Amino acid sequence: MAIPLKYNIRNLFVRKVTTGLTVLGIGLVVAVFLSVMSLSEGLTRVFKVSGSPKNILVLRRNSQSEVDSGIYREQIPLIVTLPGIDRDIDGNPLFSTELVVILNMEKNEGGTSNVTLRGISEKGPHLRPQFKLAEGRMFKPGLSEVIVSRSISKRFKNCSLDDIIRFGSYQWKVVGIFDADGTAPDSEIWTDVEGAMSDFRRVSYSSVLVRTTDKLGQDQFVTALSNDPRLALQAKSERSYYEKQTSTADPIKFFGIFVGLIMAIGACFGAMNTMYAAVSARTKEIATLRVLGFSHMSILTSFIIESLLLALLGGVLGCFLGLLTVKLALSGVTGTTNFNTFSEVVFAFRLTPNILLTGIVFSLLIGLFGGILPATQAAFTKIILALRQVE
Amino acid sequence: MKFFPLIFKNVFRKKTRTVLTIGSIILPLLVICLMGSFLSALNMPDPAQTRGMFRIVTRHKVGLASPLPVSYAEKIRQLDGAIAVTKFNWFGGKYIDDSARNFFARFAVDPETLVLVFDDATITSGSANDWFNDRAGSLVGEDLIKKFGWNIGDQVVLIGDIYPTTIQLTIRAVYKLQNEPSDALFFNRKYLEEVLPSFQGNVGTIWIKCRDGAAATKLADEIDQMFENSPYPTKTESEKAFQMGFVSMLGNVKLLVTSLTIIIVLVILLIAANTMALSARERVREIAVLRTLGFSSWKILTLILGESLILALIGGIIGLGAFIIGLKPLKASLMNTPISGFASAIKPFPEVLLLGLIITLLVGLLSGLAPAIRASQRPITEGLRHVG
Repeated sequence: MAIPLKYNIRNLFVRKVTTGLTVLGIGLVVAVFLSVMSLSEGLTRVFKVSGSPKNILVLRRNSQSEVDSGIYREQIPLIVTLPGIDRDIDGNPLFSTELVVILNMEKNEGGTSNVTLRGISEKGPHLRPQFKLAEGRMFKPGLSEVIVSRSISKRFKNCSLDDIIRFGSYQWKVVGIFDADGTAPDSEIWTDVEGAMSDFRRVSYSSVLVRTTDKLGQDQFVTALSNDPRLALQAKSERSYYEKQTSTADPIKFFGIFVGLIMAIGACFGAMNTMYAAVSARTKEIATLRVLGFSHMSILTSFIIESLLLALLGGVLGCFLGLLTVKLALSGVTGTTNFNTFSEVVFAFRLTPNILLTGIVFSLLIGLFGGILPATQAAFTKIILALRQVE
Repeated sequence: MKFFPLIFKNVFRKKTRTVLTIGSIILPLLVICLMGSFLSALNMPDPAQTRGMFRIVTRHKVGLASPLPVSYAEKIRQLDGAIAVTKFNWFGGKYIDDSARNFFARFAVDPETLVLVFDDATITSGSANDWFNDRAGSLVGEDLIKKFGWNIGDQVVLIGDIYPTTIQLTIRAVYKLQNEPSDALFFNRKYLEEVLPSFQGNVGTIWIKCRDGAAATKLADEIDQMFENSPYPTKTESEKAFQMGFVSMLGNVKLLVTSLTIIIVLVILLIAANTMALSARERVREIAVLRTLGFSSWKILTLILGESLILALIGGIIGLGAFIIGLKPLKASLMNTPISGFASAIKPFPEVLLLGLIITLLVGLLSGLAPAIRASQRPITEGLRHVG
């Protein structure tokens, strides 16, 4: 025979202050956990959605990223004549030779950060389907012109349309603003690759991005490239290149779980206190229930349910607080450094339904562990002693 | 304080509750201490100011990944106020694998000038001369030696990425810096020049030790002006500013950590306040009896506030103590996690411990305030009539 749920709900509302304080405590813990996790999720997403499945990125062997790679000019014809490469209507291979330079730029909010300046060839934008020119026009080769992503333009000085980005004798005019739908180019500035090569006196490109025909073409290209003894290069799918960089979010994720766990134990203690008080105030009542014929089990279950309810209220409040924080205070894009490339990566906090669900589960665990001991104490109340007890 | 024993008895009246409350103060306090030391580590004092070192760093104005011509070092050395100049190249590469545990800073440097510029470093074992004389030798920070269990004479193999070559180094000397982590590996740039001729002539950053503070400020501007219109414009800043540049690259991490700390303080406050409310409510009748016996409402207030303060202090002292004692094993266990870089920088900063103590006192006072006022203001008759 089970004790009606109403009994527990009413009990929670009898002690408004205590219930309120405990719920708020659990709620804050859940909210902290959620905001850190949404940060890590937002950062991870950038790398998960970046890159096109058909694209192959060619880097120097042993290079971890484009920043520490190099491909000599004379290697390019060898690469683009390999089998498997997709061609446009005119029969020209679809590829972009690219140069990555890191610019140390001033942030609007003060301080500096590294931003990726990417030199691209004519086909570069075409290889990135998410790319859209939002304002202005495309840069013209040979004129020291750049286009800037909207997120970078908002976060860094001198990056609005018609501004000039200056570094001593280097200067580039911003002629366009682009959007890349939350993918990697959203953290970049683009310019003409040949202009950039001569500006920076580079003898080697950083990478070559190639569009392959299909899965078969992809395999053909990768095998041909790695078997060519003239090229000490490696080919990676663009997707997997970016996916590897999700490790950027690892420290944040670890930090979130670490802090979340310690705080959860703290909140658990708080919930336990509340439940112990609830049990001790109701000792006589519980004994009466036992006399009426409710079993140990049903009293145990009843108190655990009460604790779960208490924590669930906290969890829901936490989700609500988390949503509020992410939607209001953290709605804009923010940036941190991707230590794979040592440059800025722009992202937005993302609170997905999955993370919210984790938050609820998290709070229920707090309730469960907080409730077990007090509920056991309640279930094994000595009936006679409890009934005889004077308050 | 003749009522001290009474307060103390009250604190331990319900042992389970006391232990749980103390526990729920200790755990968040540990988190606060950790985060506080993280923030303190970011704001470490400027070595140039605290020890009269006056070091400045010159790099390519565009950014760190663009090298400068090696001749710049010689040009800078001739300027008035520059005592010593040395050249750094970030080698990068990997040691064993790409995991966070095996990541540490590796630089190709000029050994003889390095020790002149970093004259605050001490060689703790091996000798600088051994290192100078072995072109394939390396100078390794003490923290790294401990972390990897290396010894003088051990071989370290690094697989290059920026510089496509594999280099094999012998540990010849170990260094230690006073107040900073000593966790970098240095080797002779001549070694790299030999195996990789294309590397010749490029330098990543140039470090300059200046005569004094005034010379440091003057030199920084002078160097940047000298190269302003060259194909390789420079940016020169103090060592501290250079390091802070890396911190600002982290973005709003500071803000995030600070706001999390504040929320955690709120959480402890709520839990402690809850406990105090519980114990005050259970004692409504008892307090009424005390009032009838002649205890003034002021005294009741002090009794309850004292109780919450003692409770918080016990938690605080245990928490801070545990932080100081547990820091070493904690650091060691965090070494293999993604946040190892952060873990190596934490230590018990006095300001963090002080902050922990202040938070404890604050929690003790604030959590007891509402129940104490309510208990002391409640009319005696109502209290006596109260059914618990």
